[in-house]
Amino acid sequence: MDMDKNNQITFKVQRYDPEDDGTPHFQEFMVPSSQSMTVLDGLIYIKENLDSSLVFRTSCRMAICGSCGMLINNYPHLACHTQIEEFHSNTLTVKPLPNLPIIKDLVVDLIPFFNTHKSLKPYILRQDAEEMENPTAEYAQAPHALETLLQFTYCIKCGICISACPTSASDKLFLGPQALAQCYRYCADNRDEGEQERIPLVDTDHGVWHCHLAAACSEACPKGLDPALAIQLLKRRLVSRAVGLGKKQQPSPVVLPPTETKPKVPFPEFTVKGI
Amino acid sequence: MRNTYLRLLQLVTGILIAVLLGVHMVLMHLDAILGFFGVDVKDVTSWGSMIERARQGIWAGLYIALLAVVLYHALNGLRNVILELTPSARTERVVTWAIVAFGIVAFVWCSYVPIALLSA
Amino acid sequence: MRQIQPRRNYLGAVGWLWAGNYKLERYLYILHRITGLGILLFLLLHLMMTTVFRIQGQDVWETTMSILHNPWFKIGEYLVVIAFVYHALNGLRLILQELGFLMGRPIPPIYPYRDSLRKKRPWTIAMIAVVVILALVFFYDFIIGGW
Repeated sequence: MDMDKNNQITFKVQRYDPEDDGTPHFQEFMVPSSQSMTVLDGLIYIKENLDSSLVFRTSCRMAICGSCGMLINNYPHLACHTQIEEFHSNTLTVKPLPNLPIIKDLVVDLIPFFNTHKSLKPYILRQDAEEMENPTAEYAQAPHALETLLQFTYCIKCGICISACPTSASDKLFLGPQALAQCYRYCADNRDEGEQERIPLVDTDHGVWHCHLAAACSEACPKGLDPALAIQLLKRRLVSRAVGLGKKQQPSPVVLPPTETKPKVPFPEFTVKGI
Repeated sequence: MRNTYLRLLQLVTGILIAVLLGVHMVLMHLDAILGFFGVDVKDVTSWGSMIERARQGIWAGLYIALLAVVLYHALNGLRNVILELTPSARTERVVTWAIVAFGIVAFVWCSYVPIALLSA
Repeated sequence: MRQIQPRRNYLGAVGWLWAGNYKLERYLYILHRITGLGILLFLLLHLMMTTVFRIQGQDVWETTMSILHNPWFKIGEYLVVIAFVYHALNGLRLILQELGFLMGRPIPPIYPYRDSLRKKRPWTIAMIAVVVILALVFFYDFIIGGW
């Protein structure tokens, strides 16, 4: 690959200015690029040297904050996490994430996305309200119980799965893979007793049953979260509650911290291997 | 839990259709292969063979069962596809009632015919 | 307090026909939907034929049957059979995977990420192989045996 010498890459960026009352249109920029330069570096170069009115979100530049989700060559990526070399081409098309409203240029409105997430109560709910508000001790959770949901806790709320999902594209009331995966993460948590409150919220006409396993969300997720697996396990839970099978999980008890010290235990091996 | 039950019924009818419609298709179309196995079906679409089958109660029962599961599965699927286009709440109700009405009318009419032909 | 009205940006139902550079499972979803709607259309015609035409007596029936023995209709029927075979087998795979049986367990997300559908890809390939085999069996009987 001839990227050792400096190369000129054409960035076709979608521009949209709401105060102009115009329609979105493409603007081309020539960006000198070098090896291992990311798309975000290219956009920052454009903003610093070519056109400072270009607007986009960025923060951590290391794929942990979830700000820079964009559609690059018609596939959703995190701009800081995507190298220009990956595309093997001298032209890159950068558009904002679809299925979310555009505010300006490459910035999308994430408020409806966060509201959907909040509406499914993504927090531990227990019957004992006094203990929840003024905790006296911690809830017990064994390492093997954590492993059943550890993968789904890594969500950075970037919105890429919503852009990839074909149902989110056509159904405006669909909850989206992110909200459903987080709903499963809390229903499966053995510290949580709020499953009965969340079930009527997902079992609606536009809820979890509009997922048809296209699995584009898991494919596009930049953190390897696998929301498709979480949604299918949530469906399994709903069906076993509907049919009456499945054992009811006892919520974990409150345990006081140990008073006598024990020798430090090494971190346990994962019971499920990664690859 | 209403949607879960509707969806669960669609999965169950799906399996039933795979069995019943599989039998229907094999009998209607796979002449050469069934002949290889020693089952002789003659010409299934001719009038004589059709009338002979129409007089037997078991075929009528099979067809009515197949009709019921197919209508439920197909119309529920159609309703889900239409609802994914997010119409307004009023359109959703109209579509649901239209599909239910069509399903009932189709089932009544199409199961009347095998029963009427039982005595033909 | 926002004064700007954000612009709607849905991709719409075009994702039901073409999925760009996404992987196999998304195209299987598109094909499942297309075969389902196609079989529904065929079903309406078929119900009309086997009720309205059957009850009117022998002449109408035999006229209809002689029209339908045209090779173009045979090919159309073959397509419907293939659509049903694909829809049934993909549906069985969806039933198993949506109830969580062929999906494996949550794993710690260690790079390079492999999500459960890609890990269980061999089952999907096996299902497609069965569809192809049945398509060939029906082809032999329909097209070759029928002529």
